[in-house]
Amino acid sequence: MRKFWIGSGLVSALVAAAFTLASCGGGSTEAPKTADSGAAPAGGPAATPDMDNGGTITGKVTFDGTAPKMAILDTSANPVCAKAHASSPLRSEEVVVNPNGTLKNVFVWVSAGLPADKTWQVPSTPVEIDQNGCEYKPHVIALMAGQNLSIKNSDPTNHNIHPQPSVNQEFNESQAPGTPPIDKTFPRQEIMIPVKCNVHNWMRSYINVVSSPFFAVTGDDGTFSIKGLPPGTYTLEIVHEKYGKQDQQITVGAKESKTADFTVKG
Amino acid sequence: MSDQGQDKDPVVSSSLSKQLFIWSVLLVLSLVWGLWDEMYGIRPWKGYEARFAKLYGKYLAQAKLGESANERQIKAQPEYRRLDAEMQAAEKAAMPAASAIDKEVNQDLVPKILALNDPFQEVRSHIGALTYQIEISKSPGTKDSLRKQIEELKGEVHKVKLPGEPETNMTFGDMDKRLQDMKAKKAELLQQRVDIMKHATELRTQRDKYLSDRIADASVATLAAVENSLSSFDIRIRQIHVKDIDLVDRCESCHLGTREPVVLTAANMGGEAVFATHPEPELLKIHDPEQFGCTPCHGGNGVAVSSVEKAHGYNEHWLWPLHHMENVEAGCQQCHSREIVTEMAPTLDAGRETFRLRGCMGCHRYEGFDRDADEMGSVGQQIRQLEQQKAEWLRQSGFDEQKGNNPRTTDAEAKKLFQESTDLKVRSSGLDAKIEQLDMRSHELIQEVKKVGPDLKEVRMKLRKEWIPVWLKDPHAWREGTKMPTFRLDDDEIHAIAAFIWQSGIQGTLPQQKPGDPVKGKEDFETRGCMACHSMGEGAQKQGGTFAANLSREGEKANYDYLVRWVHNPRQRTEPYCPYEKKDITEDDYKRHNLPYVFDLQHTKCPNDGHELQVQQMTPMPSLRLTEDEARDIASYLMTRKHDNATYADASYMDDPGLKNKGQALVRFYGCAGCHEIGGLEEEQRIGTELTKEGSKPIERLDFALKGHEAEAEGWYTHKGFFDHKLADPAVFDQGKEKAKQDRLKMPNFNLSKAEIDQVSTFLQGSVDATVPARYFYNPTDQRQDIIEGWWVVRKYNCMGCHKVHVGQTTTFDTLARYQDPDWKDQKPPTLIGEGARVQPGWLERFLANPSLSDTDTNRDGVRQYLKVRMPTFSFSDGEIRKLVRFFEALSSQAEPFIAEPTEPLTDQERSMARALFTSEGAPCLKCHMTGDPTHDAKATAPNFTVAHDRLKPGWTRRWILDPAAMAPGTAMPSGLFRQEGDRWVFAGPTPASFQGYTKDHADLLVRYMFQFTPEELGRLRAAGGGGMH
Repeated sequence: MRKFWIGSGLVSALVAAAFTLASCGGGSTEAPKTADSGAAPAGGPAATPDMDNGGTITGKVTFDGTAPKMAILDTSANPVCAKAHASSPLRSEEVVVNPNGTLKNVFVWVSAGLPADKTWQVPSTPVEIDQNGCEYKPHVIALMAGQNLSIKNSDPTNHNIHPQPSVNQEFNESQAPGTPPIDKTFPRQEIMIPVKCNVHNWMRSYINVVSSPFFAVTGDDGTFSIKGLPPGTYTLEIVHEKYGKQDQQITVGAKESKTADFTVKG
Repeated sequence: MSDQGQDKDPVVSSSLSKQLFIWSVLLVLSLVWGLWDEMYGIRPWKGYEARFAKLYGKYLAQAKLGESANERQIKAQPEYRRLDAEMQAAEKAAMPAASAIDKEVNQDLVPKILALNDPFQEVRSHIGALTYQIEISKSPGTKDSLRKQIEELKGEVHKVKLPGEPETNMTFGDMDKRLQDMKAKKAELLQQRVDIMKHATELRTQRDKYLSDRIADASVATLAAVENSLSSFDIRIRQIHVKDIDLVDRCESCHLGTREPVVLTAANMGGEAVFATHPEPELLKIHDPEQFGCTPCHGGNGVAVSSVEKAHGYNEHWLWPLHHMENVEAGCQQCHSREIVTEMAPTLDAGRETFRLRGCMGCHRYEGFDRDADEMGSVGQQIRQLEQQKAEWLRQSGFDEQKGNNPRTTDAEAKKLFQESTDLKVRSSGLDAKIEQLDMRSHELIQEVKKVGPDLKEVRMKLRKEWIPVWLKDPHAWREGTKMPTFRLDDDEIHAIAAFIWQSGIQGTLPQQKPGDPVKGKEDFETRGCMACHSMGEGAQKQGGTFAANLSREGEKANYDYLVRWVHNPRQRTEPYCPYEKKDITEDDYKRHNLPYVFDLQHTKCPNDGHELQVQQMTPMPSLRLTEDEARDIASYLMTRKHDNATYADASYMDDPGLKNKGQALVRFYGCAGCHEIGGLEEEQRIGTELTKEGSKPIERLDFALKGHEAEAEGWYTHKGFFDHKLADPAVFDQGKEKAKQDRLKMPNFNLSKAEIDQVSTFLQGSVDATVPARYFYNPTDQRQDIIEGWWVVRKYNCMGCHKVHVGQTTTFDTLARYQDPDWKDQKPPTLIGEGARVQPGWLERFLANPSLSDTDTNRDGVRQYLKVRMPTFSFSDGEIRKLVRFFEALSSQAEPFIAEPTEPLTDQERSMARALFTSEGAPCLKCHMTGDPTHDAKATAPNFTVAHDRLKPGWTRRWILDPAAMAPGTAMPSGLFRQEGDRWVFAGPTPASFQGYTKDHADLLVRYMFQFTPEELGRLRAAGGGGMH
């Protein structure tokens, strides 16, 4: 028994000594390890709408009420502009009701419901806006974030294009007659960015920048069609510069076609 | 004794092993503990360092991957690929010539040079040795013989075999010449190579710059370098030692990322905020930690490393605990105590502004905040001293003269005395100039003094009587967010105070005003600029500035006739006040001296004693130079602003003379005159404690009353705790106390939000008797001094409600719904960033004094007449104008005094070219800029060119037309009017035919044209009818 205790005492003393030695040799740190798990860039490859198997939403925007008479814009400050509209005066395009009772220049888009982690292929073709007859053609524009906007000046006078976004970066560039188009892109999604020309203060246009390819602008027949949607439930929103926003929830399946009509009260 | 006892010899039979074991275990444990404590227990920083190295290494490896992906992406860009391809092509094109050179140099010249070098050096060193012998030998004979030897050496012929050449015989001179020739040839060839490769090298630089310009964070190379240095990371105390003040800060032993070149956040360091880089590297550039340390700004105990609590100074009795995050800018105040605006300290700035604007300084003295009164005192004192000095000198001058006149004085002495006497007279005439300046300043100062609250002498003319007691009861309930604080008054007190205020009011008469048009008034109110300071609407509807009152219920309290006068000219006073006589001066006083009852900024002398009068209302509110009709419209609109169901109880007791004395005593007791002008109490002293050094007052002297124990238990027995609690509830330290009403705490409740409390608390915590040495204090003597002074004026009049004064600031207009519209955006007041570089100081001075820039046509803006909003007339004193002009000049680092930069006159040809361009379809200048044609100007969006010469600086004008968006983002002036062509700028659009062959800079030409632009020139252009200006 006695031996046991003596032995234990010796052992523990040895342990202690060893520990002490170990501790004294301490002060070294664990060498910094380099992480091997590299984060892959988010998103993955950019997708394109599946035109063959995707869902489609079509519809039209009906105008309810009497079409307001649009104000005549006074272009007399610039003889070149006045000349362009010598035969019929230039009218504001704030509200344009088509002959078939539908509303033109309504921006339509899938505002919610798309898979968050998906990035969409940006079309390589630019969207064009033309300063022609001292007005913007077209009046409402939609394009994808990152897509080229080609700004033309077809007038024999100087314009300056001045979009006033709240998220994207503002620019204001002079474009002399006969100069080549200016190319611009908007990197962030932003709806109804007003565009003006400081020289011709009646000129107004709206640019819509969307991060997906699912959008449209109603034209002379007031209809729209959004194709190639992956199956799912979406919020479809329409935006008009005067009459504001409306939306609908719509579920489409693969190869399915749905209709979503809107009525805007004048 | 028993046998047994004898048998059992304790030495033999009993064992101590057990005890020894236990003790040895204990010993081992204590040893282990001791060692652990020595290593880590009292050195927690070691753990931090180890973790830091680990996390940092991990992050760097990850970042490198991300960066290289990013780099790959940039390298895949068409532009990069184009640059790369161009570079490669250029390199390829240059290569044949370059390799030919390389070949010649490397294969021919270099081997030959090397081969020749050996024999040449051998002879040369021999010659060198002999030359040294000559120098040290004393005998001329030896010298001569040595010289002979050298000549022989030089004449010796050596057989030299150069590669690729037959063996030749060469003397030393031949070798030297051949060697020099080959070296010169080599240098020439290498220079040729540089020239050949120049284009490719430039392209390579361009390509690399393209890459580095697009990598915002550290590049892979930087990351690798940091990673490399991390491999030699050692665990040790990291300290900053500032020798001259013996400051030791070891903060970076744990806060290891503070100055890392790679930006570290808590998120990328495993959630450990302690390792984050300093969030404001700019601040560290100005305050280099090697010079400033950490604790002088942040507080804490820089030497302590044994625990987080101790290092942060949160242990008991440490006087300078680390500032909490929400009050971190308190550290700025101790050295930047003279400023009202300190760049990069928004919380502190807001705290100072609240302190000033909400009237804290009405009761509490704070050195530096009471600027006008302090200056008035110091100016008075200086005048007295100078007058004394002058009297002394003149007396001495008289004595000298007397002595000089004395016949017993010698001629020489008399001459000296007369000279001295004359000199003293000349010197005292110099004092006259100084005194004159100070006199002018003292006249101005009375004009500069403003009050936080309105003048209560005018209540009878201005207010609905019954409203006063309602307001007194709870101003915040009646008008949310008002400056007026809530006093803890009972009904008797309210009655008495209301009665006193009412009865001490002036009984003035007002002309009866006809009603205005409230619809027009609303439009004017919203567009003339009122809303830069005033807000309208309640709750979520509220829009406008916070500098002045919310006017949503103005119609309930105001008297229309008074309101019209106020809107028309807020500075108009009913009776002037004489500080010397301490009373308001009435018409009778003027009559007694046969003077008309006229008092304004041109008539400021008291008729009774000639002293300077207070002739204005002491409000910062300016005049908008409105017509009387416009004033009536706005007042009519304001009168419509009221709650429909508002009722006010009868308050006829306010006429009870019996209440007046009690009311006056209460008004005095609560210190109302600190913020308001009140009849009979104009010269009242402040009632609160001075707060200049409140942040370093010994904590025992902050009266926590019965809250002391609670504060200690909850950990807020600190200056911060005291300020935060007191600001949130000024009566908090009365809780539980048995006190008579008059002994209770008087400070009213300012209804501050949590954010505002943090701001004011930051300011107070920073208000300390600084422990840092004087060299730390921000007391610049150069132009930066002008910036400090200017900010006080800018804040006083809320210039920033309308103008951007510094980068990153928003104005009230930026927040107004109406001004979000693209057309209204052009109606915003101009930005003043770079104003000092833009306008001439003399012009700015004239504009500030009279923004209409006209003595007759004052209902307009002097420069931007197309703006609905209008630069008001602030009736600045000359001193304030001086400060503002210097402020803007200093912000733009302009040399003082201003000397106009000459512009080169135009040749006749240049003039006609500029005219042609100005009126061409391609140049839109006159479509937006005013021309003086009223129809055109109504739609103009930019100033008239005729003011350029007197107003602008040419250098700025050129920079402006080249890239206006860089100076004023969002400006109506478009960019891209010029494009660069070689080293000159040319007009981007089609130019008139006369520009053919013109080789000078077009922007320059237009600036020079603008600077000689006259109204006649404009008339000529208009007659030419160019530019669509009809």
